[in-house]
Parts: sequence; C-alpha cells; structure tokens
Amino acid sequence: MTKMRDVYIIGAGMTQFGKHLERSLRDLGREACLLAFRDAGIAPKEVEAGYCGNALAPAIQGETGVGQNVFWEVGISGIPIVNVENACASGSTALREGWMAVAGGFYNVVMITGVEKAVMPKGTMLNVGAGELATKLGEVFPGYFATIAQKHMERFGTTREQMAQVSVKNHIHGALNPYAQFQKKFTLEEVLKSPMIADPLTLFSCCPNSDGAAALILCSKEKARKLNGRAIRIAASVLATGTYENQRDITNWEVEIRAAQQAYKMASLGPEDLDVVEVHDAFTICEILHYEGLGLCPLGEGGRLIEERATELGGSIPVNPSGGLLSKGHPVGASGVAQVVEIVWHLRGQAGERQVEGAKVGLADMMGGNKEGDTRACTVHILVKE
Amino acid sequence: MPESAKNIPSTKIGSAVPVQEGLFNYPLRDGERPALKGNRCSHCGKNFFPKRAVCPECFISGHMEEIELERQGVVYASTVVRVSSPAGIKAPYAYGYVDLPANQLRVFALFTGADPGSFVPGRKVEVVLEPIGADTEGNAVIGYKFRPVSG
Repeated sequence: MTKMRDVYIIGAGMTQFGKHLERSLRDLGREACLLAFRDAGIAPKEVEAGYCGNALAPAIQGETGVGQNVFWEVGISGIPIVNVENACASGSTALREGWMAVAGGFYNVVMITGVEKAVMPKGTMLNVGAGELATKLGEVFPGYFATIAQKHMERFGTTREQMAQVSVKNHIHGALNPYAQFQKKFTLEEVLKSPMIADPLTLFSCCPNSDGAAALILCSKEKARKLNGRAIRIAASVLATGTYENQRDITNWEVEIRAAQQAYKMASLGPEDLDVVEVHDAFTICEILHYEGLGLCPLGEGGRLIEERATELGGSIPVNPSGGLLSKGHPVGASGVAQVVEIVWHLRGQAGERQVEGAKVGLADMMGGNKEGDTRACTVHILVKE
Repeated sequence: MPESAKNIPSTKIGSAVPVQEGLFNYPLRDGERPALKGNRCSHCGKNFFPKRAVCPECFISGHMEEIELERQGVVYASTVVRVSSPAGIKAPYAYGYVDLPANQLRVFALFTGADPGSFVPGRKVEVVLEPIGADTEGNAVIGYKFRPVSG
C-alpha cells in the first residue's frame, strides 16, 4: 500500500439514543453535527466532503438521500456528499470512507454522520433481507444469533449465565451514561427470566430498536496541529466482507478475525495494547464472539472472560463502557459512529462516571447484516491518543 | 389453449405456490419423493443450494448442472423462535442448519414433525414439503422443512 497520511478526529458529538418519536432524521442529525462542530471549533464552510451512514430510512420513513438532508441542515452544500448503507456497519463504513479520503490526500477536513429512526411498534423485528431465501423461510435476527449461541454452548460449554452476564454488565455501564437509552440495571435472574425470544436468547439479551444520531469531524495532521490540541489519531480503519463459506464453523466470524488482524497490523499494535473497546453487542452472544475475534481471549474462552469480570469497568479490558447496543440502544446507521464518539471521549478523559482512567488506545468493532449464515460487513477502527 | 390466454396468471383462490422457484419440484408427480434441487459446477465440482447462475470459483458459463440433493441429513445447529416472524411464520417454530455430507453442503431449514426443542445437533432428519404460510392473495406458500427420520 502506498504511503497514507495520518488522520485525526477533531470533533465528536451525539444525541441521546432512545425514543425520539417527535423528531425527524434531519433534526437528530443536525443536533449531532452541531455538537461535533462546537467540539472541533471549526465552521461548516471548512468541510470539504460529507459521509452519512443510514440503513433503514428508505424502508421505514420512505426517505432517501438522508446525508444531503442532514448536512443541508448545518449549512453544508456544494461539496461531495456520500450516502452509505452497510446495515449495522453503515456509520462505521461512512467513517472509513471519510478516513480514506483524508488519508489519500483528497481532502483535509471531512464530516461523518450516522443517523437512524428505527423505533417501531413494540415487538417489531428488523427484516433480515426480503430477498434472502432464509428470510422467506422465517429466519429472524435473534434466531440467527441463537443458532450461533447454541453451537458455542455445545462446542465450548458456554453457559446461559455467562451470556446473560453480558447484558447485566452493559446495563451497569449504561446506567452511568447519560446518552444511553436505558439507565436501568438488571440482575442475572431478570435477564434469564425475561421472555424467551429465540432459545437461548431472552428479551433482555437482545438490543432495542432506537432513534439517534452521532457525528465526527476528521482532518489531516497539518490541520489538526492548528486546532484545539485534543485530536485523536485514527491508527487503523478496516472494512471486510464475509466469505459466505457454506460449511464454516459458526462459533466464530472469520471476517472479524481477519479484519482485526489487518487493523492491528496497520496500527502496529496488538490486543494487549488496548485500554477500552466498543463492540457490536446486538445480542449477548455477539459480545462473547467479539472478545474471541478481537483476540481479547483465545477462541472458545469468551464465556470465561465475562465470568471473570475482565470486561467490566475496572477490569483488565473494559468492553462497551457506553452500555453497548444492549443498553445505549441501536439506531442502526448511527451506532458505528457513536462507538467511535465514545472511544474519543475516553481517550480525552471526557467520559464522566464511566471513564476508563488513563485510556490511550481504544478499538471499535462493528458488524453489519447477515447473508448465507455469514456477515456482510465488519469494520474495525483503532484510535490512539498521542 | 388459445395463444392469447397463455400469459394470463391463474387467479384461483386457495392454490399453492412454492416459496421460491427452483428449490424443489412442486407439485410432485405420482410417486415422486420430495427433494431439494441444487446445482453443481461441472468444471470444479462444487455444489450450491440454492442454485447459483455462475460458479464463483471458476466464473465460466455453461458449466452449471442441476443436481438432486440427498434427502436425509444431520442437524448442525438449531434454535426455537418464540416470536412470530415478519414473513408470517407462527411461533413457536424451530429452524437451523442441516448438513448434507454426500453433497458437501449445509442448508438453512425449518424443522417439523417433533418437539421444536428436540432438533439437537447430530439428529438425523429428512426433507418434506409443507405449507409455511400464505401470500397476500391467499395462496398457501409451500416451503421445505426437515423432520426426524422415522424408524
């Protein structure tokens, strides 16, 4: 690969995640973008390109071109605007597009936003993809992850209690995060006894549908030098797609292992260097697989890692201090951007009660969509405080 | 049939349609047993279900031939879903993956014919064709499912 420029995050902002029934996509997006501008201390006219992650507006609101709508709200027009859809990884894929553009020398300042309104009538599940045979036959997201959980239990002895502990932990974290949808803790018993959705995943093992937005401003090293001195470097940005190998072992995601290895190589860092991690815990079992895929523990030992409390705030490697998707909420297209906003806050020491003290290196891991029992998109970003 | 009538679709209420074309023969002919239809690249020998138009390994046309998949397989993984699906499948229902070793394929499948929680990995199952719901015009939608091998 040719020499790339260093890219820095100079602005970060997000709305509270939750139910925003009275607010529009552009309203939520505007709030997040304005917060990012205030944080960066730059004007909209300085932005040279904009990237917007959104997954569901065409299906739910019947709205397309969300990026142009949101950026117009904050006075950004005339420049290249790109709308990005990559399921749950839409926002993080938009971030990667912006990172590439600055790293490649095309622009010095770009803006990223992710926005979604996914709150639907109680009990509504997202469609896995109307064109897929499995969907026509009745596959649902919780069911897909439940088959993975069943296989992980069979192969490694992972327990229902270990999986439920992921939800308990993330709700403890979320209760410390004013941006989280749920500010409520649950006991292990409450998670296990909540209504069964797809065995072994109970209601409180599944993330909610949410509304919300998040935004980031990226710039080149030269531009960052002239600004507020709180710039955070993007040490790695990776996007990978599943291989859809028909008879693959479903107890891990090869695409995630591959993406993580690429990211560690790009950053010249390893899992042992991480201080804080945000992962795509759409369902409790996901977080356990992510521990393993990112190399926080060996394959098969994710259940043990949560049981040992290593991934709680105060543990050896805190995961999802924001509360994760389970507690913070999951406005699909915004989640990948919000993960990075959270990491930025930790690296700057701005994360309030949930602050991971002295954090210098953080990682955000997002996965989006399933196809043929594999994952459509996986992004890994590593951020470093210099 | 007059030429002009050939393209008029049947509007009869209550007929049955397969969930997707090309997955299996339906309706079955007299004496025909239900079986899934996949295809095979005659160049590299790789099998696919559902059928693919072009082999992604070889990427040359004219080498895809239909194959009938083995009727019996082994459960790889499963779950019981307790909420009805947006596709209209009523809860509770069991699904998962079935390995077909002779075809070197794993297929997504609904399960039927036994307690939904009983389709544990390793259980031997066989394919059947059953209604899985109805479409917006009131036709029964026919899908494939796997049930325990009898006897």
